[in-house]
Amino acid sequence: MDRALITEKLTTIFRSVFNDQAIVLRDDLTANDVANWDSLSHMLMIGEAEKEFSVKFKLKELGKLEDVKSLIDLLEQKIQSK
Amino acid sequence: MVFTSFNFLVFFPTVLVVYFLLPQKFRWIFLLAASYYFYINIKPVYAVLLAAVTLTTYIFTNLIAKTKSDGKRRAYMVTSVILTLLPLFFFKYFNFVNEGIYSLLNLVGLHLQLPHISMLLPVGISFYTFMALGYTIDVYNEEIDAEKNIGVVALFLSFFPVVMSGPIERAGNMFHQFKGKLEFSAEKVVQGLQLMLWGYFMKLALADRLSIYIDAVFKNADQHVGSSLLLATLMQPIRVYGDLGGYSLIAIGCARVMGINVIPNFNRPFFATTMSEFWRRWHISLIKWLTDYVYTPLSFGFRKYGMWGIVISLNLTFIISGAWHGAAFNFLVWGFIQGVALSVEMLTRKSKDAFEARFNLAKKWWYMLFGCAFTYLLFALSLSFGGDAATVPEVLKILGRIVTDPIQMPYKDGDTMLYGFLAFAIVFIKDFMEEFYPGRVLLFNNKNNTVRWLAYYCVLFLIFYLGIFSGEQFVYFQF
Repeated sequence: MDRALITEKLTTIFRSVFNDQAIVLRDDLTANDVANWDSLSHMLMIGEAEKEFSVKFKLKELGKLEDVKSLIDLLEQKIQSK
Repeated sequence: MVFTSFNFLVFFPTVLVVYFLLPQKFRWIFLLAASYYFYINIKPVYAVLLAAVTLTTYIFTNLIAKTKSDGKRRAYMVTSVILTLLPLFFFKYFNFVNEGIYSLLNLVGLHLQLPHISMLLPVGISFYTFMALGYTIDVYNEEIDAEKNIGVVALFLSFFPVVMSGPIERAGNMFHQFKGKLEFSAEKVVQGLQLMLWGYFMKLALADRLSIYIDAVFKNADQHVGSSLLLATLMQPIRVYGDLGGYSLIAIGCARVMGINVIPNFNRPFFATTMSEFWRRWHISLIKWLTDYVYTPLSFGFRKYGMWGIVISLNLTFIISGAWHGAAFNFLVWGFIQGVALSVEMLTRKSKDAFEARFNLAKKWWYMLFGCAFTYLLFALSLSFGGDAATVPEVLKILGRIVTDPIQMPYKDGDTMLYGFLAFAIVFIKDFMEEFYPGRVLLFNNKNNTVRWLAYYCVLFLIFYLGIFSGEQFVYFQF
């Protein structure tokens, strides 16, 4: 799965979980830029991403996510190593 | 040694003078000595406990860092967490657990005498224990390197401005400051003193003034009418804001004067329009700690249950937060109310967003006011269980009387109510301006020397005029 497709699928998840159809993912997007992206909804998004891409995150990996780029990088890495 | 004591008024300037006279490389060592002196001053034997937690944290974080095997690293982390928590459990929960066991045994007809500890909870133990745990878990998660110098770890856990009631600091924020250049900065000295001045106002003029009324009512609840109980209940959040908020500002200010930045603890909490927003503004360092080390692992574990996993994690986190505040059922109820309120907000978020969008409510002042008032009332109600009125049945009785007693004039304590209201009005106006018109009215930060100094003198005068100087303890020392 290429990066563009990951971004597309992730955009659908973000729009649904954070309840905002206007969200456009960009590499430097962080929780500060999205109204409903807080610690409560963050784990919902993580759970949805795991289901969509059939991957499993480690807790330690989540602590290192700083922005959308790091999330897409991690997803890409996990999908490739499947 | 309490921030509002005469001893501290001698201790802090003396520490400052010696601190800035010493060469930079020795300053952190002096801070460590001063911090232990400060702590020993409370009760020498408790410093041994603080030192033991420091040593445990130091040894295990370094073992974790040196070990390659995942299993061993985990074992070291778990062992360190258990050993660090042991003193807290012993001092804080031993009697609570024993009383629970005693009641259970009583139910089945066994009347056993169980041991009871009659020692006071070591001051600050809940705070430095959480700081030590956070540091250990950060090292385990490879988010920070293990510190090789035990003195730096000791200073982190004993740093006198925060050791007694927080803010609950992170090693990642403090270590590099202790090891870096602790330079004199006139700008930081001024900022720090401004924070301290405002902190003293919040504590002495607001919290301690309101305490007179609240204590008079709650300590004799049976003698007071429902309207007095309601008024005292509504005053509680303001009192705790003045107390812990004031303490936090003094602590942050002390550290800032010495050139050290400590994380903030409050951000104008009464302007929160929802409970989730409230908890991003109230006791921020504790909530951030609980989010990172309790809620996140829990919600990660429950993530396959989607929204309900979040609800379970939220409730467990706030019940743990309740238990952290005190070893009694009323604190668990307090935590449970927060958990339920946040869960309801989480579950109804989408429909609430749609409702607000449909009627364009989000920026309407009256809708925001309603949100602030509702959040405040909910928190005040929950605080009845986390406040002074001891047991759950007693709190329920008070709440019942608030609803059922006929409306009468509340208990009047003219001076307290007038001075308390004045102090609150000043704090409220300051917070309101900073919330909605930031930078519009500058007093402490005014470029004009006369305005700035006039503001300092005014606050100082108000502290003496409205403040209470009876050596009241800070509410959070008991935690």
